[in-house]
Amino acid sequence: MQHALFASAEERSRLGGPVGLTADARPDRSGPYANYLLGRAYDEMFTPKGGVRPHYAELHKRVAELPADELRRRQHACEQSFLHQGITFTVYGDNQSTERIIPTDLLPRIITAAEWARLEAGLKQRIQALNLFLHDIYADGRVLKDGLVPRALIYGSRHYRREMRGLPVPHGAYVNVCGTDLVRREDGTFVVLEDNLRVPSGVSYMLANRDVVRRAFSAIFRSAGVRPIEHYPQDLLATLKSLAPFQEEVSIAVLSPGVFNSAYFEHAFLARQMGVELVEGHDLVVNDNSVYARTTSGLKRVDVIYRRIDDDFIDPLAFRADSTLGVPGVFNAYRAGNVVIANAPGTGVADDKAVYAYVPRLIRYYLSEEPILENVETFLCREHKALGHVLANLDRLVVKAVGESGGYGMLIGPHASKAERDAFAEKLKADPENYIAQPTIQLSTAPCLVDGAIEARHVDLRPFILHGEQTTIAPGALTRVALKRGSLVVNSSQGGGSKDTWVLSA
Amino acid sequence: MLSRVADNLYWMSRYLERAEHTSRLIAVKLESMIEQSPGEAEISWRRVVTALSGEGFVPSEAAETFDITRALAFDPFNASSLIASLRFARDNGRQVREQISTEMWNRLNRLYLRLAPLNLASFWNDQPAHIFRETVEELHMLEGTAYSTMRHGEGWYFLELGRYIERAQLVSRLLDLHFGPASRAGSSPHHLDWVVLLRFCTAFEAYCKVYTANIRRDRIAEFLLFDAEFPHSVRFAVERLTEALAHVAIGAPAPRRAACERLAGRLKASVDFGQIDELMGGTIDIFLANISAQCEQIHDAVYAAYIGYDAETVL
Repeated sequence: MQHALFASAEERSRLGGPVGLTADARPDRSGPYANYLLGRAYDEMFTPKGGVRPHYAELHKRVAELPADELRRRQHACEQSFLHQGITFTVYGDNQSTERIIPTDLLPRIITAAEWARLEAGLKQRIQALNLFLHDIYADGRVLKDGLVPRALIYGSRHYRREMRGLPVPHGAYVNVCGTDLVRREDGTFVVLEDNLRVPSGVSYMLANRDVVRRAFSAIFRSAGVRPIEHYPQDLLATLKSLAPFQEEVSIAVLSPGVFNSAYFEHAFLARQMGVELVEGHDLVVNDNSVYARTTSGLKRVDVIYRRIDDDFIDPLAFRADSTLGVPGVFNAYRAGNVVIANAPGTGVADDKAVYAYVPRLIRYYLSEEPILENVETFLCREHKALGHVLANLDRLVVKAVGESGGYGMLIGPHASKAERDAFAEKLKADPENYIAQPTIQLSTAPCLVDGAIEARHVDLRPFILHGEQTTIAPGALTRVALKRGSLVVNSSQGGGSKDTWVLSA
Repeated sequence: MLSRVADNLYWMSRYLERAEHTSRLIAVKLESMIEQSPGEAEISWRRVVTALSGEGFVPSEAAETFDITRALAFDPFNASSLIASLRFARDNGRQVREQISTEMWNRLNRLYLRLAPLNLASFWNDQPAHIFRETVEELHMLEGTAYSTMRHGEGWYFLELGRYIERAQLVSRLLDLHFGPASRAGSSPHHLDWVVLLRFCTAFEAYCKVYTANIRRDRIAEFLLFDAEFPHSVRFAVERLTEALAHVAIGAPAPRRAACERLAGRLKASVDFGQIDELMGGTIDIFLANISAQCEQIHDAVYAAYIGYDAETVL
């Protein structure tokens, strides 16, 4: 996912527009904050007039008091810690591969108790509706009969699994682990940008960031009243366990594609923290519709699989035949009710970018409630009127292909050349159902350490929601950072970093 | 325990043992060169090279000490080099990251990240042995970290199994180079060579405590083969690997376990009841070759019984 920007700071200055504020309007932007630019975006630390928001006051003060080199030193210590722990991803070259850490920023992002309460309520409401929706489309299809969502949108989706039709799932919980991406609008309101309902990753970074930042700012961490998140692995374990048909001696395994996967650190981390087995496809065998792990003492039954492999690859007999990562026969064992797969296959149909546009309506439909969290305004190009609007405003919109993620297959209107926009318009007219468009969003900015000084960088927010018998949300999140000045791209695959997120208890 | 995990732990441990051995041989060799004549040093270098060369590396006759050291220690493409052993150990460790303690992983990872970018030329003229000594120390600390931070369950015993099978083979190979055909073919070891052999096995002080500083080849052979209490003797290694075998795959069917334990018991009997006087008559090379072969058999039996078995056969 990639966030487009209306105009970067550089562009605004080139256009002669205002960059930041005048010196007399920023009494608190001295010392390490001297070069801190405030733009149109909502800033997490500073008010538009340059004052410090109350919940940031303590951090602002402490950081200003530190000797110049001290921040740099602590930042270095954080990075070394990540490197030694092996929190890295591998970049493959010609005959040498190098390991890099995903950049972590020392300065925590702080969220107030009131903001969090609203987020938590909104996220719970949303996952409830999404699970009811999944249950519906894999059962009666009431929402389709009522005409709220077009049939073609669901049955035509690449992620719809007809194999799941009529299959009961424990507690009706299809999505057990969800990572929802939120951003702040310019008025400071959090809105949902994307639901990740398949195999969301990043939770290990939430925990690893906390581990290093708590040490780097131990005094202020204690006095600020930051809510703990360290129980996430226990919550995940309890969620997975609640999916098993029996509660005694449940055998749980984390299924990973293996050491070459970029999220392998996270798979191993979660297995270790939960105290369960980390398995790869070839460690499992299916016999008589039951799943077993191959152990030194013989075969051992597995009851719940927390899979970190996409649907397509999970079972070569049911889905992609050329997959070597999966377990032949596991889907039949699942159908037979002998093993639970979390998240359930087929959840991807509900985090489709087109279905996303319907989520507020789904919340009203299933829960008879008003959505607590809004969506980003979204134009469905499949609707004739919307398509006309999109084509007329291509230079101001971000257009995304429905089935893609990670920032691929999209057009960022304000940044594209006329030729690029024209070429994209042709694609759009040829296959409008495959596209949605959104206005460019100014993500909020937060203070980040850049070469020893503090500058504003755009951030988003990804909390993690667990849903089994109960719904739990660890009071924290992964805050992703666009490290390049003015950039709105927070994806780690495209140069993004991350930072610790403090949710205050009061 | 997952068979794959057992496999990774076993190999991680074998590679760490190999790395420690390589590091210590290079350190001892570099240190002892000062005390040797160029001719002696040359012959003794050949012995080290033979002991450490796998299939991947055969140095040319003209190779200089520097080039040999670099190939044995830092050549990433020489599969038996120190850095390759550490890389393999780390790769195996990474695959069982959830099984080994965080302390172990961090220490292993740090050691590798420190050595991998090193350039031998940059410290060759300033006590080059130093880095190899430090590596041995780091590996000892890693062993201690594992001992005190990891559960001494099945995984731990797979580490033990790997370490001591590797050690029995490495020490046997060293002994063969000093007592076998190579030592009789014109370049028989001198007094200093025997001291160096003891140091290769970190055995000099321990030997002196048992036999005093009276350096005799038959006693050295006896000590490194049959001493029951010295960690780098073959007998000690066999004792430990036998014990490890008794603690792994407890739930496996009896016939599978029996195949491994029988082989280990036979090897143990041969080192428990071996007599050095009989061997020094000329059969020591056969005896040593036998130990190596039996270690191979045990390895194969463990794989057949616990790791690479066909799932169909146990259903």
